[in-house]
Amino acid sequence: MPGKVLNIIVTGVGGQGNVLASQIIATAAVESGYQVSVGETFGASQRGGSVMSHVRVSQEKLGPLIPRGEADFILGFEPLETLRTFREYGSQKTQVIMNVRPNYPLGVLLNEDKYPDIPELTENIRANSERVWALAATDLAVSVGVPVGTNMVMTGAFVGTHILPIGLETYEAVLEGLFTGEILRLNLAAFQAGFKAVS
Amino acid sequence: MEQLRMSLRLKQEVMDTEACTRCGLCVGLCPYIKTMNERIAFIHDCSREDGNCYQVCPRTPTDWATLDQAVFGEARTDQVLGNYAQILYARSLDRGTGESGQYGGVVSALAAFMVESGESEAAVVTRGEESGPPTPVVARTREEILAASGSKYSASPTLSALNEGVRQGLNNLTVIGRPCQVLGLRKMQSLTGVSEHNLSARQVNFTIGLFCFWSLDTKVYSLFEQKTEGKAVRKIDIPQNFVVLTTDAGEVQIPVDEVREYIRPTCLRCFDPTAEFADVAVGSTEHDPQWNTLIVRTAKGKEVVERAVAEGRLEIKDYPAARLPLLLTAVNNKKQRVVDGMARGEAGYEYLILNSASFAAAGRED
Amino acid sequence: MSFLSLLVNEPGRQVLMSGNEAITRGAIEAGLSYAASYPGSPTAEIVTNLGRLAKTHELYAEWSVNEKVAIEEAAGASFTGLRSLCVVKHNGLNVALDSLVSISIGGVKAGMVLVVGDDPAAHSSTNEEDSRLISKVAHLPILEPSTPEEAKQMTLAAYTLSERVQLPVTLRCVTRLSHGSGNVTLSLIQPANKKPVFKKEDRFVTHVAFHQAQEIKLAKIREAADTLPFNTYTGPEDAKTIIIASGPSSLYALEAVQALGLAGEVGVLKLGITWPLPEKFLLKHMKHAEKVIFIEEIEPFNEENVMALAAQHMTDIYPIQFFGQHSGHVAGPKGPGLGEMDPDIVKRSIARVMDTGVAEAEAAVATTNAVSAAGVPSAGIPEREMAFCAGCPHRASFWAMKSALALDGRNGVVLGDIGCYSLALRRTGWSLPQTMHAMGSGAGIANGLGKLDMFGFNQPVIAVVGDSTFFHATIPALINARYTSSNFMLVVLDNETTAMTGHQPHPGLNKNAMGEDVQGIAMEDVVRGLNIPVSIHDPYDVKGTVETVYKLLQSEGAKVLILRRVCALLAAKAETRPRVYVNQDQCIGDDCGCNRFCSTTFSCPATIWDPKKGKAVIDEVVCNRCQVCVSLCPQGAIKVEGGDQVAR
Repeated sequence: MPGKVLNIIVTGVGGQGNVLASQIIATAAVESGYQVSVGETFGASQRGGSVMSHVRVSQEKLGPLIPRGEADFILGFEPLETLRTFREYGSQKTQVIMNVRPNYPLGVLLNEDKYPDIPELTENIRANSERVWALAATDLAVSVGVPVGTNMVMTGAFVGTHILPIGLETYEAVLEGLFTGEILRLNLAAFQAGFKAVS
Repeated sequence: MEQLRMSLRLKQEVMDTEACTRCGLCVGLCPYIKTMNERIAFIHDCSREDGNCYQVCPRTPTDWATLDQAVFGEARTDQVLGNYAQILYARSLDRGTGESGQYGGVVSALAAFMVESGESEAAVVTRGEESGPPTPVVARTREEILAASGSKYSASPTLSALNEGVRQGLNNLTVIGRPCQVLGLRKMQSLTGVSEHNLSARQVNFTIGLFCFWSLDTKVYSLFEQKTEGKAVRKIDIPQNFVVLTTDAGEVQIPVDEVREYIRPTCLRCFDPTAEFADVAVGSTEHDPQWNTLIVRTAKGKEVVERAVAEGRLEIKDYPAARLPLLLTAVNNKKQRVVDGMARGEAGYEYLILNSASFAAAGRED
Repeated sequence: MSFLSLLVNEPGRQVLMSGNEAITRGAIEAGLSYAASYPGSPTAEIVTNLGRLAKTHELYAEWSVNEKVAIEEAAGASFTGLRSLCVVKHNGLNVALDSLVSISIGGVKAGMVLVVGDDPAAHSSTNEEDSRLISKVAHLPILEPSTPEEAKQMTLAAYTLSERVQLPVTLRCVTRLSHGSGNVTLSLIQPANKKPVFKKEDRFVTHVAFHQAQEIKLAKIREAADTLPFNTYTGPEDAKTIIIASGPSSLYALEAVQALGLAGEVGVLKLGITWPLPEKFLLKHMKHAEKVIFIEEIEPFNEENVMALAAQHMTDIYPIQFFGQHSGHVAGPKGPGLGEMDPDIVKRSIARVMDTGVAEAEAAVATTNAVSAAGVPSAGIPEREMAFCAGCPHRASFWAMKSALALDGRNGVVLGDIGCYSLALRRTGWSLPQTMHAMGSGAGIANGLGKLDMFGFNQPVIAVVGDSTFFHATIPALINARYTSSNFMLVVLDNETTAMTGHQPHPGLNKNAMGEDVQGIAMEDVVRGLNIPVSIHDPYDVKGTVETVYKLLQSEGAKVLILRRVCALLAAKAETRPRVYVNQDQCIGDDCGCNRFCSTTFSCPATIWDPKKGKAVIDEVVCNRCQVCVSLCPQGAIKVEGGDQVAR
């Protein structure tokens, strides 16, 4: 862990499973003896809105929200949301994993807004951050037979960066507490695919 | 001045001003224009800059002379009745059509002839209901055509059924329509420079126009229901000064003056009571209930009528010379009222582009 | 995983829990017997979890018809000696207010805790309301947790306090606490009295004579407040500036003081109980302070109560100055008391108050943002608007109502209500509703509009409600409509669940909060019982729905139309439907008169545009396979796999 506190933001669109990803990371951190504070918004934002979880891992009690510009890590499930979050919370010190599959907002569907060019967007974040992993997480999930497993691929990729000194087995234990049988097997496969893609 | 979008203009110039004739031609061209109870409305602004809906509407600007050229290939020869080849008395020899039809049953006989001969795949007709407004239908059989025979006196958006039929893949259709409906069809047929999709009128191969001096608002059906005490109405006729409703229990008569308040204002601004752009136009004789007046207008009309006569479906005879002035006076008076209204600068006539060749008042009065 | 941690019985173990889970756990550790609630964000998950724990933990949990009934039930259980819980959101407390005020006068017997979820910034609410003002009106003590850990401890303490003074105790939560998560230390699940007995007591009959006793109880709590472990002070004992904060805002304040380098001179006083105030504790620290800054959400509740206390003791604490919402120093971008607090707003607010280093602090905040924004274009980031889900029956219902009203042509009025369908106020519902207030108020307003014909009012009126809202607050309005011959149509958008708050059951369904089979109440029977005509239609049949709505609009009097179709999210989980796709040979793209009706007007998120082919395409990851677009595509280009449209 780079400093006393690791500020992680999981960002995406309602329905992508980012809340579950943040809960897995946070649970593994609590199980490993850290103080964790998670801030999230759900409810109305499920309905196609932007969804963001702040996960703060440290040795002390912290508030549920990360101050602007102080995200150490952004786990972006969707390019536009990654950009939006990076603009507000990112800095030259921020590391980013971004799923490159877009989810078009209503304004784009209505032909009123233009979705940003993804390679350009990626370069933009790369130039202004510490590091960017642009990951075809949804494709990766499909390739291991779990089309809805994007969140597991992304979680695995986060673990693969080793930014938190928590072992793979701790996360796998969290997954084993969450799922059983075939669903556990599929989720583990997606998780491991993400892990390998980054490490 | 910035040009408004076509769709918005249709709404503002035609629908919002009650100029709409309820022809139904714009209904179903797109998912935004719908009809219910003979009212036509925009559900949602489609945001399109262009719009066939505006261009084909019988109540958007129409140059009569251009349309004469498009339909007949020549300038107007009769300024009261429009161009025609023959004016006749006619009646159906097709057993069945004469019984249920109005007067001579010519309309049903011709439509059935077109469908049965295979020249048209179906006929777009307006089927009367036992109560309330009639229903536009695509009739694919003789039975379905006969089921729809008889005059209707409200403004059914019949052409919505044409759009629906063409979308379902039908080709070569006969359309039975009011003069405004025929006008819309002809406008659509002569459109240029637009996408070929959804131009339903191009699938019409025969138009039977109906004489029409006015139509009634659907509120009149409440009056009918009240007068017949809720009985099913089998037939409606307006022979002279009474509206006659035929029910299973007999006839109910309503003085015509009682229904005048239901006449749609747009009908008072109509310049075309005899379906001037139809292949054939049919009306009553106002004289002999066994016969219809039949105006054969186009070459196509002439050819179909001749075949129908040859095949024993139709009987024709000369239009009585003594009756012709009466018809001309009635039509001329209606046209004169429109021209007078235009001259006074009244609203509602913006759609009419006339030149002296289109109409020169004959000066006859009632 | 967090649900499982609720079951762990290992005292001392730390687990991750949300604020809602921590309260659930706290109630169970306290030996809770009876819980009643109406679902509302941000506190809906508490009774969802209690329902799942009912069997194993010998307790009863229910989704009540509304909050008024819920609070009365919880009081009833308490009267018999059972510890009870009532969970509401701020609007729900308003619904329950009349009963709450009366219950508080005579008081309760066994511990009764009232959890209220306030929603600063209105993340999932119509309004931001500070319910502490309501609890104060009802003479209830208020505890305000700042972390999930504290939420659990306070739940336990609230039961003790409630039993000590025999008043219900409010646990006031904000969204960031309820939905946030953190470490929670588990304690033993205590054995509890689960043998209810009702014993007559005079105080259960509300009478003004008990007002005095009620005030004495509050005074007792005021004494006890100073000894509660939840009020803390962090900072120099002689700090000239203190910050008084409560809830998660107190954590933002602690961080801000650190970040601004003010830890050596500014103290942070966190209030765990915000009514009645721990007066001695506050006065002790106000004595050494010359400046007091208030950080709280939403209204200046602590600010005003503490200033009143200070005024009373001014000679002891003078000189002193107060900074907060009233002075304008503590404010987010929209102004004082608007929106929620966050670390940046708090940092800026403190910097504004401190004489020195204002510019630096402002600059520091500005710089962090500037660094993060550097080089990343701000333009061209489209907003992500809220929209109906793919396949949502409400989209079809609103399109049908919009169509019928346009065809009717009398400038009809649609009155909205509270639920998923309030998203119709946005673009995917074509902004059809013209009013929205409280639950059931659409039908109430319709009652009024429906009787204005004597003044020449002739616009038809439609009130829309959801199925859960129908039972919650609409039936009295219907009774009134029938009794007073009001002329309007009530459309019940029945998606067979309480969708917005997470698919809870309601009285119309055959399941209860504990997952048991029960006999639901058919809303059509309720309406028929009032002798009001009722029709039922499937909104997925758009054409038929348009006709039905149109026809009903032409009829006089009050009438009800139930548009019944299960929530698309539940349906997608429950059954596998055939795939829906665009036959791109049939789609004629921009040559169609429809102007991309499916993706731009009907705007289902599953119908998207394929720019390469210039035709529509279905995003099969998003599509819930409702098939409504199949019936609406003017070219009939949208198909169902395995043949044409399947019968519904």
